Amino acid sequence: MKLILPPGLSERGLNRALEAFAAVTGRDWVLRTDEDRETYLDVYAPGNEASHAPSAAVAPASAEEVQAIVRLANEHRVPLWPISRGKNFGYGGAAPRMPGCVVLDLGRMKRILEVNERYGYCVVEPGVGFYDLHDHLQAHNLPLWLSIPGNGWGSVVGNALERGFSATPYGDHAAQICGMEVVLPGGELLQTGMGAMSRGATGPLFHHGFGPSWDQMFVQSNYGVVTKMGMWLMPAPETTLSMSMKLPDPEDLGWLVDVLAPLRLRGIVNHNVSVQGCMASATMSSQRSDWYQGEGALPDSVLRAIMAKHDVGWWNFTLRLYGDPEVNEANARLIQKAFAARTTLPFTITRWSRAEAGNNGGPSPGVFPLQIVNWHGGRGGHLGFSPVLPPDGKLVVEQLRLTRQRFREAGIDYSGTFYISGRHVINVNLIIYDRDNAGMTQRVRGLFRALVRDSAAAGYAEYRTHLSYMDEVAATFDFNAHALRRLNETVKDALDPNGILAPGRNGIWPARYRGQRGSG
Amino acid sequence: MRLAMLHRAALCLLALLPLAAAGASAGEAPPGQALFRRHCGICHLQGGTGTFMLGRRLGDENALLETRADLAGAYVRTVVRNGIQSMPRFSRVELPDADLARIVQYLAGTQPH
Repeated sequence: MKLILPPGLSERGLNRALEAFAAVTGRDWVLRTDEDRETYLDVYAPGNEASHAPSAAVAPASAEEVQAIVRLANEHRVPLWPISRGKNFGYGGAAPRMPGCVVLDLGRMKRILEVNERYGYCVVEPGVGFYDLHDHLQAHNLPLWLSIPGNGWGSVVGNALERGFSATPYGDHAAQICGMEVVLPGGELLQTGMGAMSRGATGPLFHHGFGPSWDQMFVQSNYGVVTKMGMWLMPAPETTLSMSMKLPDPEDLGWLVDVLAPLRLRGIVNHNVSVQGCMASATMSSQRSDWYQGEGALPDSVLRAIMAKHDVGWWNFTLRLYGDPEVNEANARLIQKAFAARTTLPFTITRWSRAEAGNNGGPSPGVFPLQIVNWHGGRGGHLGFSPVLPPDGKLVVEQLRLTRQRFREAGIDYSGTFYISGRHVINVNLIIYDRDNAGMTQRVRGLFRALVRDSAAAGYAEYRTHLSYMDEVAATFDFNAHALRRLNETVKDALDPNGILAPGRNGIWPARYRGQRGSG
Repeated sequence: MRLAMLHRAALCLLALLPLAAAGASAGEAPPGQALFRRHCGICHLQGGTGTFMLGRRLGDENALLETRADLAGAYVRTVVRNGIQSMPRFSRVELPDADLARIVQYLAGTQPH
């Protein structure tokens, strides 16, 4: 595709910068052909890929090379878009928010620097994928379990920096971050937390340091390039006890939230519980044409046919108890008692034992959930609309009702999952479309904007969003005439006066490019 | 449940991947095969989403790339770098040219260049 330059930079200026980058990384790792650029486009873009097209990419092999590139980017006024492995599918993939940025691809930095079995943590570089870390644990027979998101193809660091999550006890991935090495926008190298001591011995062990605690400052932001990260890993349990249930009706979600949230709050269930709609099974193992040929959102009769054929409920969940078998059995009885007060639906219970299995067990990465993009056939795509709700059954069912209504109005099939915690519910709504159907993608964009508006009116916002909607979602955080935005951008301008790091990420624009807000 | 079965099949295969890769590094398999399984196998072995979709488009007999005899090297290279249908593109950072050439050689039985 044709070269798109960042605002205010000439092609000659870009070429000079790329030559300077090549002197750092070697010419092979400055990627600037048409084909190279296209490999960083958003493969599932809900609109024109060019809206978020990079001008080139550069791939350093070390933190020192990152520092050198960041300094050169300041000198040449070239904006960079750091990625770890670029698998942020549904949210923009590897593509930059502002077109013309040079992708800073950290995929070559893939050292697993330490895995500590005794204390349950790892220290990894951004290019380390879930597959890499999983293979490492297996190869060394380490009794530690990963918490892996639905798309296991991505980076451990990158997913945590996006606040990715999974339904495991360590499932809030950003909360497992413990200590970072960061290249600041000026090129200076920083260690956070206890690692900020020259001889720091407890960096990956204690979340905070002395004074302000900065790790979370680099999550969903554009204040630095994370080049190493400590992450806590869960010790492999001796046993697990899994309890599954199928619920027949959409409104069952309400009482389920009211039963599960207190169990989660009290620690009887120690992970967020994923409650999946029946469409999840259909979209991951079949195509729409298998079920329905008509226009508009799937009618309820088709959903009932999916439930019958796949032997699933309208809602389906599995919660898992981990650890000592006697404690698990006792907690299972408490859970059954809590459910018995609301339903006669049965649990399906399965048990796993490390001793009987003869291995450490634990989740394996997978990419099968990406199968959903094939729902319509052709070149598929998906967006996630994921507001955070209070764990109140009545409010959650009202959000469900309104969301399904919006999907029906747009003629898009509804597919939702609710992740239930003790103090919140994250509602991931998958919007699946055929990228080659212009009418459908237009309706999808309208649907997304309606969902942002509806949610904001109810007091809810997304925990994460696609590049194209970052400004819109950020704008809903509007207390005191956008005081949060002013703080974010005051910090941005102080740290990054030339605006070279990820302009526009999560709605944070540096002064140099502030006029781009709302573009694309 | 069919979905659960598919997941289990995929996970069983994925659990074998590290062993396959380790075997390759010990010289027991062609490097192209190990690279294919490492980079492509997450979708293109039995039970993977790529195999599932190729089966739907081209029939089960053409679903598994490793058993195909009709893959031209230039076609494989083009698909990897440009993507196809819902398959994402692979950059030269994720899959350097030299590694892609070995995968092409493995799948298409051609010389790397």
